[in-house]
Amino acid sequence: MIEEIRAKAADLLRSGEVKCFIGYERASDGLTARPFFAYSADEADRLIFDGTCVHNLARYLPDMRGKRVGILAKPCDSRSINVLIREGQVEREEVYIVGVVCDGVYRTTWGKPSRELQPRCLYCSKRTPVVYDYLVGQPPPAPESQHPASISEVEALERKPAAERWEFWRSHFARCIRCNACRQICPACYCPQCFSDQLDPLWTGIRIGLPQNWVWNVGRALHLAGRCIDCEECQRACPMGIPLAILNRKLASRVKELFGFEAGMDPRAPFPFATFEKEEEIL
Amino acid sequence: MSDREPRVVGFLCNWCSYAGADLAGTSRMQYPPNIRIIRVPCSGRVDPLLVIKAFERGADGVLVSGCHPGDCHYTQGNYYARRRLAILRDLLEFLGIERDRFRIEWVSAAEGQRFAQIVADFVKKLKELGPRR
Amino acid sequence: MARIGVFICHCGHNIAGVIDVGRVVEAAKRMPGVAYAGDYIYCCSDPGQAFIRQAIKENRLTRVVVGACSPRMHEKTFQEVLASAGLNPFLLEMANLREHCSWVHSEAKEEATEKAIDLIRMAVAKASRAEPLFAKPIPITKRALVVGGGIAGIQAALDIANAGFEVVLVEREPTIGGKMAKFDKTFPTLDCASCILTPRMVEVAKHPNIRLMTYAEVEEVKGYAGNFEVRIRQKARKVDHSKCTGCGTCWQKCPTKVPSEFDLGLGKRTAIYIPFPQAVPPKPVIDTVNCRYMAYLEFVRSGREGKPPPQCRICEKLCPTGAINWDEEDAIITERFGAIVVATGYDLFDPSQIPQYGYGRLDNVITSLEFERILNASGPTGGRILLKDGREPKRVAIVHCVGSRDLNYNEYCSKVCCMYSMKYAHLIKERIPDAEVYEFYIDVRSAGKGFEEFYNRVLDEGVRFVRGKVAEIFKGKDGLSVRFEDTLTGGRHVLSVDMVILACGLVPQRDAGEVARIFKLSRSPDGFFLEKHPKLDPVNTHADGVFLAGACIGPCDIPDAVARGSAAAAKAIGLLSRDEILSEPMTAIVDISKCSGCMLCEEICPFDAIEPQVVRGKRVARVKEELCKGCGSCAAACRSGAINLRGFTHQQLLAEVEAL
Repeated sequence: MIEEIRAKAADLLRSGEVKCFIGYERASDGLTARPFFAYSADEADRLIFDGTCVHNLARYLPDMRGKRVGILAKPCDSRSINVLIREGQVEREEVYIVGVVCDGVYRTTWGKPSRELQPRCLYCSKRTPVVYDYLVGQPPPAPESQHPASISEVEALERKPAAERWEFWRSHFARCIRCNACRQICPACYCPQCFSDQLDPLWTGIRIGLPQNWVWNVGRALHLAGRCIDCEECQRACPMGIPLAILNRKLASRVKELFGFEAGMDPRAPFPFATFEKEEEIL
Repeated sequence: MSDREPRVVGFLCNWCSYAGADLAGTSRMQYPPNIRIIRVPCSGRVDPLLVIKAFERGADGVLVSGCHPGDCHYTQGNYYARRRLAILRDLLEFLGIERDRFRIEWVSAAEGQRFAQIVADFVKKLKELGPRR
Repeated sequence: MARIGVFICHCGHNIAGVIDVGRVVEAAKRMPGVAYAGDYIYCCSDPGQAFIRQAIKENRLTRVVVGACSPRMHEKTFQEVLASAGLNPFLLEMANLREHCSWVHSEAKEEATEKAIDLIRMAVAKASRAEPLFAKPIPITKRALVVGGGIAGIQAALDIANAGFEVVLVEREPTIGGKMAKFDKTFPTLDCASCILTPRMVEVAKHPNIRLMTYAEVEEVKGYAGNFEVRIRQKARKVDHSKCTGCGTCWQKCPTKVPSEFDLGLGKRTAIYIPFPQAVPPKPVIDTVNCRYMAYLEFVRSGREGKPPPQCRICEKLCPTGAINWDEEDAIITERFGAIVVATGYDLFDPSQIPQYGYGRLDNVITSLEFERILNASGPTGGRILLKDGREPKRVAIVHCVGSRDLNYNEYCSKVCCMYSMKYAHLIKERIPDAEVYEFYIDVRSAGKGFEEFYNRVLDEGVRFVRGKVAEIFKGKDGLSVRFEDTLTGGRHVLSVDMVILACGLVPQRDAGEVARIFKLSRSPDGFFLEKHPKLDPVNTHADGVFLAGACIGPCDIPDAVARGSAAAAKAIGLLSRDEILSEPMTAIVDISKCSGCMLCEEICPFDAIEPQVVRGKRVARVKEELCKGCGSCAAACRSGAINLRGFTHQQLLAEVEAL
């Protein structure tokens, strides 16, 4: 598999089809992976792909506009690319997508590899990218197999009384240091100036305290409704261990229930908050 | 401080609901004085961040009210509002803000009585829920 | 820092009788930015206005808050006070102390006073973030487009043209005249329809201010009130109307005979034709589908094998002016207009949807419009009432409410059918005195000038009225049989007749949805176009500058259609008489430094007022201010807050929330 990825990337770079190929290389701990930008065919040999390749590389595409780039995309990453195409942040013809069939990636942090699948991979039913120019790996036979999903964290929280839910999030958001790592790593966060960085209007407030952190985290979650593809990079990047993915997954599931919409599946499907049905019972 | 009066922020569209609230006044209908009304051109103007801010600033309940579906002065604003606010309410509920604290109602310019009734019911409900944590 | 002045109105006892105005004024004085706070017994009165004006000048106020009644009541009044004191009128903010406070909390004076202080605090906070706004004057294109050449459109076009404005009247058929041109007589006066209509049609054609475009259709409307840009397709007539004199040689000699649309298929017309003798313009078009030479050309173009059809070209050979132009193609014409009148009319309900009535299956079961043609002297029978086999009918049934007042089809009453049905009864009696005529009705609705009198007249003439719905029409052993229930006597009966006329209701034009899309109109549940207000704005629409006339709003008779035509014309003239219109000052505005170019706003905007533009190589949103109506749906959707709404900015609304 990796030889095929390297050969394809080298081809693309050698032929000048792309100026840069975005993939993964082994990190300096020798165990985990990190994003890698290959600019020549020779560099393509450094590419790797395995369960440690957790990053959503679509994050880098908006910054590469105007250049032809190649990118390695897992199924979840491919949905991000679709979101970015739909929102005009990526031109489809500027990107060569090498899709890769995925069996899930591991819970892993620098220096601490693991063989345990990320929770989101347990809920994910997509094993083939939804958009690609070239596919690496054998697509699994239809219907695509689904990992067994146990009772989700979302449901567990939903079953608790409101007071406990409030307390749960209060305790988490109180610890937020507003480092913005969640935003910086998010492929859907590309605003030139984030609402929380604006001083006029001052939506979030400057102080790092519960009320301000609450507005920040709630506001950000809302801005991801119908757009988050559950790559869980925010949660992985959060130094305070705030379970942001639960929030995003809750909204994604409601958007699917209410509007039958899943982010990034179809770049032509109307965005659920830019369309409506005259008769709909959603309140 | 459980006997504190609930504080309600109401975002009312100029063309239907604000006029409906005016009619409640013209008709001298009495409702609890807990609501503070913010006039917006259309329920579609209500940025969910405003609702989030209202709760952050200590509102016990927030009401967004616009023209009935199909009657929007701008033809579509309330349809967009309905979707945005539906998802916002689910999010707030998930965060531990009870569903009953965020009301979305369609009130026409002719429904002064209904507006008064909605505010009365809302305040009653909020009293049952008690002040927000 | 803004210098805010706060004025609390007592409104006599209305506010001051509940709210402690003194306390509110004292509280206002301590609010941030407030340079002056005072009260007055009636702020809206002339001395009240002078009081505010003077305080603005003496205290050099830059923002004004008036705590009084609803802004829906007196915002304009106080905005003018600001303007007269040299302040931009949009630097006013009103706090609704009456409708939203004193009147609804008259039994809770203490709480009402506290609420009033809060409302003032919110208004002060919002006012401190207010910015001057300006309405831009936009010059108006002083021409009108009238769409539809029926009687309503004709009337509108004539009225606008007589007021001195240029009018383009677009009609999709080869002639104007609409449905009325097909009628024989009009109820209840029994005027000959074409005798009163054709002079108006000729007037349109001769009017120096009217340009008539028949056989043409509107394809696209862009722009806004005062400045529409309209794309019109002139369908190819294959006849050069600038050369044609309308002598009629061509259509007399054309060998191709096809069913006439004008006669609803009851008569024939030629391939080069005018729809009826008094058509305006009186010049023909070539029906390219049925013309033999066009078929020949089509055959040659397709490169098919075999023997080509004969080249006819008789019209070309006989035309004394050489007006036949086989090369003519559809032409697209783009024109600018200030106002548009939509008068696209109605369709007749198609009774074949009611299978038990046998229309299309049984001979001599005909629609009302078909009967109009049969009655008409220029119609297929020369005005003689005849059955299909050429005999005169001796017993005729007229079935009311076909497709109307019926939940299976249309719930509404079509308003004209009772009267035209009675007109038929009268005309049958007049032309076949010994004929028996039966009217099967649910209720006779004869509200109108001379209508009830006409009803009494046909009763006197011996027309039989049967109250009851017809259940079925079927082939009897001698002609047709009508099965019905007489709800007055309670019996079920079968009646043998020679002819059944179905009084079909009026329904929206089959392409009303497409027309609504082109002109950005809404439709009511019945499918007709929606007026701005059913009572007080019956010919305006939510699309500014687009007015409605005639039966496209809903069923109406000829005088109503004419009145609606004149009403729409008055509205259009009112618009066109102005030199410029003022743009909406409260519009959306884009901060391009914050815009990511995701164009979510463009998708959301109900008025197509947002488009992308490229600034320094970056795609960002741009608001077409003349189209923006200020709903703010875009501003609420924009994640980066790049798009804002003047007058209700993020800053202003947030200030209100934070003032709580």
